[in-house]
Amino acid sequence: MIGPSRVAELDMPGAAIEGASTRPAQSYWNESWERLRANRIGMAAGILILIFALIAILAPVFSAVLTHFQPQTIDLSQTFSPPGGKHLLGTDELGRDTLTRLIWGARVTLGVALLTVAVSLTVGTAVGMMAGYYGGWLDDLLMRLVDTVLAIPAIFLFILMSILFRPTPVSLALIIASVGWGQVARLVRGEVLSVKQRDFILATRSIGARHLRLMLRHLLPNVLPVLIVAASLGVGQIILIEAALDFLGLGIQPPTPSWGNQLTNAESYFFHSIWLVNFPGLLIFVTVLASNVFGNAIRDAFDPRLK
Amino acid sequence: MLAKYVARRFLASLVVVLGVTLITLVLMDRTRGTYVPGIDLNPALRPEDIARLRADLGLDRPFYIWYLTWIWGVVHGDFGRSMIDGSTVMSHILDRLPNTLELTGTAILIGIVIAIPVGVIGALRHGSKADHTLTVVSVAGFAVPQFWMGLILILIFSVTLEQHGLPWLPSSGAYSAVNGGDFIDRVEHLILPATVLSFFYMSTWSRFIRSSMLEVLSQDYIRTARAKGMSERRVVYLHGLRNALIPLVTLIGLELPGLVSGGLVVEVVFGWPGIGKLAFERALQYDYTTVMGVTFFATMLVIAGNLLADLLYGVLDPRIRYS
Repeated sequence: MIGPSRVAELDMPGAAIEGASTRPAQSYWNESWERLRANRIGMAAGILILIFALIAILAPVFSAVLTHFQPQTIDLSQTFSPPGGKHLLGTDELGRDTLTRLIWGARVTLGVALLTVAVSLTVGTAVGMMAGYYGGWLDDLLMRLVDTVLAIPAIFLFILMSILFRPTPVSLALIIASVGWGQVARLVRGEVLSVKQRDFILATRSIGARHLRLMLRHLLPNVLPVLIVAASLGVGQIILIEAALDFLGLGIQPPTPSWGNQLTNAESYFFHSIWLVNFPGLLIFVTVLASNVFGNAIRDAFDPRLK
Repeated sequence: MLAKYVARRFLASLVVVLGVTLITLVLMDRTRGTYVPGIDLNPALRPEDIARLRADLGLDRPFYIWYLTWIWGVVHGDFGRSMIDGSTVMSHILDRLPNTLELTGTAILIGIVIAIPVGVIGALRHGSKADHTLTVVSVAGFAVPQFWMGLILILIFSVTLEQHGLPWLPSSGAYSAVNGGDFIDRVEHLILPATVLSFFYMSTWSRFIRSSMLEVLSQDYIRTARAKGMSERRVVYLHGLRNALIPLVTLIGLELPGLVSGGLVVEVVFGWPGIGKLAFERALQYDYTTVMGVTFFATMLVIAGNLLADLLYGVLDPRIRYS
């Protein structure tokens, strides 16, 4: 039996260093946040993404107040106007305002990326957790499924599926997530396998916690850091994939503007209207760059071992 | 031990291969639609013609017959026949494969050749200005859309140079249609697409080598080697680099399927007559058997690449034990 005296005994090591200057105890999340905040470049990248997200959300306001154009308004008297004047970033082959289309395109591009990450994480975590937690034949079955999905070169799978589902922003996100979940599942399963061995899980089980409670209340919080890191590192790649599919004509279909599909026909006019190639490409580049940098900062903050 | 491991891995791979055929076929089955591959938009087609043509191509058959027919083609090594031109899918693949291998092989090779010194310099002088510059370049290489970089390179090296009457690089195809096809001509066509592709590989691998090298250099045996009085050069190259390159083998093994599929976007941008472009064009025309055949072919390479990387890893690093 553990009586009061034993507890006092266990406290002894603490007493020995009394008086020594100690750092106030901080939660894991607080500590990670402190580390993240100290990373200036990482924070700048994060703020840039936040600004882009705000612009995307407020797209209707911007096109009403700033550009005074709608993304799909065709004006054949204004085709290929260079940047400046009424059209800040020029117009395209149908006289549509480039800046307006880029702002609305941000909605599509960032929205698809967000949804893709959300779906991949949800499905992947559920599958990975079940496989890792229950083990046995379920583990074998689920992991072979993951192996299979990940063995098919993603780009071919995307091509097949974008013929199957006429891509809208939602279906495009699902198409990209159909590969993403597999990577998340592998990651989560690995994490669960190691956390499962720890004593606190045994303790929780011994006081009669149900499977679902164990998974959601005890395993999930321990897997969360890995998930956050995976998500923040994945966003950039997803934006690149989405842009490439749009460019190939397999993603978001015109006239809905996205950053990628604004480059689809670029080759037929880019030698006289260079801005039509520069701006969408630069936006994709900067956004992906910022999310990669921010992703790295998140990883360094949440998982210092990996630095 | 090793034989048993190989056998088990091989069996697991077989399960994955079967799963892949099922997934691709279910997808293709769902996309069968009501059109005729290749000529679906021709207004001269009457409904009864469509029905007849679809029946000729076997598109009206139930799923399991379709599946078995296709598997039959795979077993015979011809992967069935294209729905558009009737020649075997394998002949299409073999026709395009050399072009694709030429492009991706060159890009991967250039990628490795540049990535290794870049990664080593970054690790040896980590924190220095050179390291920071190289980091920025490779982080950029990771974020730049390949198709956009391709467009910009075409604009600079094909369009602008030609406009100024300077020597320019061809922007499309693997060789000139007229009087082309010799070595110089092919190299000229290769430069731009290979640059785009190798920039990506270089960025990925140099980061990887840098961190791998940093890790190795902090190991005890490196300290031991230094303590023995070994020259820094021998320490870095003989003990450091050799061990730092081990994980790279896995990475390159994983890139093996990239030999076929990795250049798809670049092939489309540069009109490179490779496998990726084949799959892309045929997918737009609903040539099911060809798309399926190419997908399956590429998938087999993934599985083979994974297996090979695993085995090589063990040969290079005796600490790995197969069980």
